[in-house]
Amino acid sequence: MDVQASNLTTSLLDRESHLEARNIHVWFKERHVLSDVSLQFPANSVTALIGPSGCGKSTFLRTLNRMHELIPGAGLAGTIYLDNEDIYAPGVDPVSIRLRVGMVFQKPNPFPTMTIKGNVLAGLRLSNRRTRDENELVESCLNRASIWNEVKDRLDAPAGSLSGGQQQRLCIARSLALAPDILLMDEPCSALDPGSTRRIEETIRELSADMTVVIVTHNMQQAQRVSDQTAFFLAEEGQPGHVVEFGNTDNLFSAPNDPRTEDYVNGRFG
Amino acid sequence: MATLESLPRPNGGVTPWKVRSRSVSIIIVLASAIPAAITFGIQKALQVPGPIALLLIFLPIQLVSSWIAAAATRGRRGIADASLNVVVLFATTFVSIMLGSVLYSVINWGLKAISPHFIYQNNVYVTTTTSLDYGGAGHALLGSFLVVGLATVVAVPLGIAVAVYLTETRGRFRSPVRFFAQAMSGLPSIVSGLFIYAVFMASGISRPAGWLASAALVLLMLPTIIRMSEEVLKLVPGDLRSAALALGAPQRRAFFLVIFPAAKTGLITAILLGLARVVGETAPLLVTTRVNANTNVNPFSGDISTLPTYIFSYLTAGFDTGNARAWAAALMLLSVVAMIFAATRMLSNQK
Repeated sequence: MDVQASNLTTSLLDRESHLEARNIHVWFKERHVLSDVSLQFPANSVTALIGPSGCGKSTFLRTLNRMHELIPGAGLAGTIYLDNEDIYAPGVDPVSIRLRVGMVFQKPNPFPTMTIKGNVLAGLRLSNRRTRDENELVESCLNRASIWNEVKDRLDAPAGSLSGGQQQRLCIARSLALAPDILLMDEPCSALDPGSTRRIEETIRELSADMTVVIVTHNMQQAQRVSDQTAFFLAEEGQPGHVVEFGNTDNLFSAPNDPRTEDYVNGRFG
Repeated sequence: MATLESLPRPNGGVTPWKVRSRSVSIIIVLASAIPAAITFGIQKALQVPGPIALLLIFLPIQLVSSWIAAAATRGRRGIADASLNVVVLFATTFVSIMLGSVLYSVINWGLKAISPHFIYQNNVYVTTTTSLDYGGAGHALLGSFLVVGLATVVAVPLGIAVAVYLTETRGRFRSPVRFFAQAMSGLPSIVSGLFIYAVFMASGISRPAGWLASAALVLLMLPTIIRMSEEVLKLVPGDLRSAALALGAPQRRAFFLVIFPAAKTGLITAILLGLARVVGETAPLLVTTRVNANTNVNPFSGDISTLPTYIFSYLTAGFDTGNARAWAAALMLLSVVAMIFAATRMLSNQK
């Protein structure tokens, strides 16, 4: 799987991938935590997953790049299609899925033993691939994560020397270096100040020009600002989480079909 | 505008919580001075040995005196606090005195025979009448390095590999392996030596040799290295593992490029502690090697001296210069251990 630099660059521009989850159920041991979730993520769309804590948004997100199966006791039913291919089909290497479906975590987690530059290139080293021009790749990824100007003079400084917001944008740049088709973001701004949050939201909007983004957020305004479509998850008392409503973001926030959605987006519970 | 200096200050300056009233100060001084004076008097009058006076006379008197002082100054709740303070302080002092006297005797006796030539010369021409100006434990120091070094070369990769199995995989045998590693840490060192003796010497496979001692030491090092490394690897945040795997890393590359670098200093500490655990071991070496007055650089054949067996053989030989040589070698051994621990501290503070 030796992808050349040219492929990496073209894939950033040309490839359009869409993702679809059909009838997803999730269990942890005996506990049924997510029930019958079906969502479509068209190419180059931004989808926000909202809902109260513990309703399975993050769990669902992790099923989309096969990180879910790393949790002991995890179970899954249903199908996830990436360009019409089932990512859970026997013989599919989870590593190849994770290379195409990148992920940014809630807490910034740059590799502390590596430099800023090393972190951006970490994905290539970890997947044992090469690029023709490392410096160019580093610059373009950091640019796309809107952090290049802040770090261009100290690319060899340890990643831990950055602020929380910068670390999170570095983590985004690290994911971009692999030129994923899909980017999953699990509450990427929950630990950040308003300024960093705004920068990341701008980044998401720019990324959606050539990438499909799925973002979990607790921030209603953020969902409205960045997403094209929104799914509202809810887990009622003793019940597994499920999708109450899914649709165009503007419609869902201005004229929700379900009273529970209306209550949630207006801050009446959760 | 008021400057900092012109602001009114409490009596204690900038640490008001340390301010005591005069009467409380007097009570505290008395509560410490009176028991010391009484103990000193009794000890002089009855000629009791120091440690006994400390434990059986000073401790109870000081406890009672602290209770009274605490009751007078802080009421009932102060009593429990004062008792614990006194007991903890006594325990600390007692242990410090014991360790200090061990150190003192080794250094005091050891310095009498140690000299530069003692560190590098061997023992070939040494008899009961040879003066301390000739001969040394250099061959034993070298032997210790060879035996312990060989054990380390085997135990470190093996131990870390087991720790990686325990933390990084979901292998089915993790809990039995962890159980055995823990049970092995209770293995008496003489048993490990006898095991090697039974397998390799009683069966006629080998005569006494350095590598047999190394094998016995491996058995003793393994549990320390496994358990320490496991703890260190567990400390690597799960976030980093997830981050590496989410970037499409196969588990092997995630380990070598992310987890191992993050745990490196801790793993080195684990190795050094494993070393310190065995460098002074004597029993397994007595069973598996025979002392040699000459230098032997081959741990795979022939008699080889190590510092612990050198010390043991001279202490049991029963002549004055022999005793002095044993103490000097003990000082060398202690220095080696001290260096290992110093290195450990430096590395673990480096983060």
